[in-house]
Amino acid sequence: MTAGAPAAARPVPARPGRWPTAGRLLRLELRNNAMLWMLPVAAALFWFTTYRKAMAMPPLWNLRAPSMQTGALLAFVFPVAGAAAWTGSREGRRHTTDLVTIAARPRWARLLAAWAATTCWAMAGYLGCVAVLYGVTAQQATWGGPLWWPAVVTAASLPALSALGFAAGTLVPSRFTPPLAAVGAFFVLALSTELINGSQSYWQISPLVTKPWDIGPDAGMATFYPYLPDLPLAQVMFLAGLTVAVLGALALPGGPGGTWLRRPAAAITVAGLLAAGTAVALAGAGRLDAHGMIAIPALHDAASDRPLRYTPACSHTRVPVCLNPAYAGYLPATAAALAPVLAEVAGLPGAPVRVSQAAATYRQGVGNSVSIGLAGPDISGRPPVFRLVLLDQLPGPTMTTSALAAALRSSAGPAIVADVIGGGRSPSPAQRAVIAALLIAAGQPVHGPSPSSPPAGREPGMAPPVPAPGSPAYAAARRFAALPASARRAWLARHLPALRAGQIALARLP
Amino acid sequence: MNVEITGLSRRFGRTTAVAGVDLQAGPGVFGLLGPNGAGKTSLLRMMATAIPPTSGRLRLLGRDPRSYGPRREIRRRLGYLPQNLGYYPGFTVGEFVEYFALLKEVPAARIPAAVTAAVERTELGGKAKAKLRTLSGGMLRRVGVAQAIVNEPELLLLDEPTAGLDPEQRVAFRALLRELGTHATVVVSTHLVEDVGAACAQVALMDQGKVVFLGTPGALAARGEGYGTGDAPIERGYSAVLAAARS
Repeated sequence: MTAGAPAAARPVPARPGRWPTAGRLLRLELRNNAMLWMLPVAAALFWFTTYRKAMAMPPLWNLRAPSMQTGALLAFVFPVAGAAAWTGSREGRRHTTDLVTIAARPRWARLLAAWAATTCWAMAGYLGCVAVLYGVTAQQATWGGPLWWPAVVTAASLPALSALGFAAGTLVPSRFTPPLAAVGAFFVLALSTELINGSQSYWQISPLVTKPWDIGPDAGMATFYPYLPDLPLAQVMFLAGLTVAVLGALALPGGPGGTWLRRPAAAITVAGLLAAGTAVALAGAGRLDAHGMIAIPALHDAASDRPLRYTPACSHTRVPVCLNPAYAGYLPATAAALAPVLAEVAGLPGAPVRVSQAAATYRQGVGNSVSIGLAGPDISGRPPVFRLVLLDQLPGPTMTTSALAAALRSSAGPAIVADVIGGGRSPSPAQRAVIAALLIAAGQPVHGPSPSSPPAGREPGMAPPVPAPGSPAYAAARRFAALPASARRAWLARHLPALRAGQIALARLP
Repeated sequence: MNVEITGLSRRFGRTTAVAGVDLQAGPGVFGLLGPNGAGKTSLLRMMATAIPPTSGRLRLLGRDPRSYGPRREIRRRLGYLPQNLGYYPGFTVGEFVEYFALLKEVPAARIPAAVTAAVERTELGGKAKAKLRTLSGGMLRRVGVAQAIVNEPELLLLDEPTAGLDPEQRVAFRALLRELGTHATVVVSTHLVEDVGAACAQVALMDQGKVVFLGTPGALAARGEGYGTGDAPIERGYSAVLAAARS
């Protein structure tokens, strides 16, 4: 050790002091932060739990973005809370408490820099994951743009998770705190949705929630109407309030004489808690809107209820099938699936001149159940248009195009025929027979009393009852289907008004 | 006087670590001697404002550390090396010293030069970019000294600073102490009496929380004349004073 001037033999180059103090402190923390080492873990978890599943979904923003919100949060909670707790417990674990306690810079500033570094790395990792998932989706999606609110909610969750983990590490500076904090945060987050009961639940404040809980991936929302920011706004408010409250609380034990710091810290903590509490109350006031999202009256903008403008993607068939452009990838399969049935009814009075995809409507049921269907009749307007709710708009496992086509043939096909022939939910035997005959003629197998079961959560009634095999109506249907197409069409052209009115008996069918 | 202590006491539960100590120290190197458990570290921690005294009066650098503003001013001008140096293994030597320069509110523009100077003065220039986890115990001790002096303190408190240093390094360190003592008050707590004899102008000997001797190293050595325990005169003085205090 030298008592005089610095030795010239091994000089350490003095870097210019171009960084401000806070920037220097943050830079040091960034270079030595545990979250940096946890980034590969977070990225691997994101790939495993979120990216793979999102890529297995159709390239619809409204499917992938909400699933990313939930998945990314669960992927990042463990590494972020753990790394933050590790950083927060550093002074206690490494026995530097005396050294840092006697420093002039307030404890709060020191802790804030360490927390900020953890959060910055977590945010950088998360934004990288979002960029990859959104980038790939942007290349695959046929319409629409990124939904940012799901990404914002998860981004707001990271500082909160980091603050909670950091506070745990600061309060209990043990080497066991980081794993316990990570596991605890994971379970608290994962279990936070267990108590959700209906759309007016306070627990919807959980950042995992993007829509009515328990209905699974739901491509029906945010396609025909905007993605409502109501619940995300409340969630971001809650998370920001929580973050501010926890960080403010870190400054409360400022040592004797630090009143000047403790008072504003207490005020910040109270303000954060108030914001978080208000957000919870707002979430509790939410209700399921007709378009499948949670609307919160105090945060709701009526402009969000206006439908999105789009140019539909239409097939070049005799009866055009038009879909929302987001579903353009399904257009060939949909048009091909409906073509035989449409050919059977084309030109008949009341037959649809176009099939147009429509928005599903949502209604809250008991508990977390949600009824999803089509408001109003299937065929409406002049000239008549058949409004189609694509099965992929309904919650549940997503389908391949061939599976979708098969499902459409057995659900929308009978519905189109039944709407043209009439009879509603209680058709006469003759109406049943004609419906079945046209379906048979369209190459559609008719088995049992119902050609299809409505998907879970879907309102029944789309497909009409068909005659049971062996019944007189079934025999009449077989007979009518066996007629030449021109004969069927000629008979229907003459007798359809009477048939629709239920004035034709089964015996009068040719 | 940079250090003015009057009737200072500190209790931990039922244990009295420091019992009514009176001390004054101006610029120069002040040695704090005593056996294990004498209260040296507790006294040093109070002087470092790490813990408040239970009773008594403490003024450091002309300020009362009980108030936040003066305490913060004291801390800007204070250097402290604790007995058990905690450190962050992932930091490099330069980063660790810079970290404490930032915590001591060294002006941002001066930090690079201050870090360089502190690292060079502790002969760690060649290790500035080495991770702390790779350093030996003696080197870590020097890193501790470097962080303590990075703000050019007016009051430097060193608890067992030579522990782990080899003889050559101890000689160099004593020279550094003398140099630092020319413009600052340096309080060195140690149980190595030869360090005190070589570097200190004043020495206090503590036992059971009390100061049982206060004077120059020469006066301490003189107290040991005719006393049998110890190899060097100052060691014999140390033993004689302790024996007298306990009798």
